[in-house]
Amino acid sequence: MLSLLLKSIRSRIIPTSLVTISLMASMVLLLSIERIQQGAEEGFNQSISGVDAIIGPRSSSLELVLYTVFHLGRPTNNITTKTIDDMRLRSDISWLVPIALGDSHRGFRVVATESNYFEHIQYANNQSLTFSKGGVFSELSETVVGSDVAEKLNYSIGSKIQITHGSIESTGNKHDDFSFKVVGVLNKTGTPIDQAVFLDLKGYELLHLGWQSGKKVLSLEDIDLSSLPDDALTPKTVTAAFVGLKSKLTLFNFSKSIREYPKEAISAVIPGIALSELWSIVGLVDKGFQLLSWIIIAISLIAMVTLIIASLDNRKQEMTIYRANGASPKFLAAMVIYESLVIGLVAIIGAVILVSVVTYFATNQLNLALGISPSFKWISLDEIKVFSIILLAGVLSSLIPAAMVFRKNLHQTLS
Amino acid sequence: MLKTLGLEYHYQYGKKIVFPEIEVKKGQRLLISGFSGCGKTTLLSLIAGALKLQAGDIKFDGHEYSKMSSLFLDKFRADHIGYIFQILNLIPFLSVSENIALGIKFSKSRKSKVANLNQEIIRLINSLGLEKEVLNTPVNRLSVGQQQRVAVARALLGKPDLILADEPTSALDTGTTKKFLNEMMETFDSTKQAIIMVSHDASIAPYFDTVIDFNNHHA
Repeated sequence: MLSLLLKSIRSRIIPTSLVTISLMASMVLLLSIERIQQGAEEGFNQSISGVDAIIGPRSSSLELVLYTVFHLGRPTNNITTKTIDDMRLRSDISWLVPIALGDSHRGFRVVATESNYFEHIQYANNQSLTFSKGGVFSELSETVVGSDVAEKLNYSIGSKIQITHGSIESTGNKHDDFSFKVVGVLNKTGTPIDQAVFLDLKGYELLHLGWQSGKKVLSLEDIDLSSLPDDALTPKTVTAAFVGLKSKLTLFNFSKSIREYPKEAISAVIPGIALSELWSIVGLVDKGFQLLSWIIIAISLIAMVTLIIASLDNRKQEMTIYRANGASPKFLAAMVIYESLVIGLVAIIGAVILVSVVTYFATNQLNLALGISPSFKWISLDEIKVFSIILLAGVLSSLIPAAMVFRKNLHQTLS
Repeated sequence: MLKTLGLEYHYQYGKKIVFPEIEVKKGQRLLISGFSGCGKTTLLSLIAGALKLQAGDIKFDGHEYSKMSSLFLDKFRADHIGYIFQILNLIPFLSVSENIALGIKFSKSRKSKVANLNQEIIRLINSLGLEKEVLNTPVNRLSVGQQQRVAVARALLGKPDLILADEPTSALDTGTTKKFLNEMMETFDSTKQAIIMVSHDASIAPYFDTVIDFNNHHA
């Protein structure tokens, strides 16, 4: 029967393939929306791990996470180092890593931090950062670069780099009186870490000696570094601090007490919660798109059934000859149902291939734009469910023409 | 082999036909003639099992149609009957040999009678006066006469007991009709098979051993 069916379909190839393409396109739409959303969500969620809270100036928690973890958006206010030092004294904190953001290097964000950053900050599912070359910086003139930075700018151990004030190369003033030496290159993580340049906070502070209100007033060459007091290179302010708690159970009490800290307006943001806020907003838009794609799929299925019904009249001769040679009405009805299955399957296979191509490019775009690289899948269990639903809907709707064929008796077709 | 008993048929639009009783034996060639609308095709449909019996019965090799389900009748038709239409006998998107092979597609018993399908197809088309080359010709390039011969080959493949032919010559000219019938009658196996053909063309009567005229019957 299959070979008869395929030959019959081939004789009606143009309308059938058009309907298949429309079904395929509607599935591509649904799957791409789903995959890009899931990929973005996964990428975001995988970007930070092992951090229980982010302490930063009081602002929107989402804004803080986007800025400190993803280096997206506007700089937030800073918090004072005094506050950070107070935090370090808390008994419920296991570790604390301050970071200062704001500078960049040839388009890549500079993260000024302490050397314990590489020990505590994790990504994906509690994976620690590892070095492909070299190791952690130990002097203020040393720097560690993410894997994308090293790859794109062709940096290796010993490369000298200069930092630009601000995040945009063309408008920022260069800190051209001081250069840093690359001492470590991180392994690829698929997170914004790959696109960051890491400095020691003290080195970062050194760059900004002689700067006032974002303008250079004194060159480093004019400053006698040896005459500086010991604490001169300890920054007065930082952007935020990543915190690990001794026990996650104290998380909510911790964030409450941070909010109530009397000396400065700060807050503690739990990254997972802030991100889920983001997904609840994105999810709403996503639901709308999904609904739309399901409607388009339904329209395509209706088009398919319409095509099958319309073709029945043209296939009267074919059907009559089968019947006259002893085919049962069941055979004809089955042919109609199988036809919808063939159309559905071809559309699904085509859609999977197309969507994989689409997600491949979308993944690259996400990586370029956000620094995240979601894992690349061929097909997921959820998608198999979606396909099954679509196939089932196709078969169910083909029961209409199948019943029309079944009820037509041979004599009606003979004469 | 086949016998009809008191067949009657009421059409939905009110017309009623009482059919004469027919008996066909192995090897018999029966022609049913009469003008259009006299119920010839209806009778063939009843014998083919394509129309539900309303009154009377048909006996075929000991089987009574009135006792068979429509599903069983489909199988019965596949096993025992070869059917030839007036026109449009062939499926355009299948090759000539695929069209012929359809004759045994739905019947295990007919399949089992064909040892080598290709050889048998070539034997049939040669016997029906067709060249081997038509097997590679697209169906829509065949002449009507060639198409009808292919239809006969399909009906004969796997040696069904009964060939039913509904005006197979109506689209052929006189010369072709003669040749077609000659070849058809030579190819069919008169020791095992029987033919019932309906036609309004009384001139073909010499090819048959029995002729029933429906017009006379009604009159």
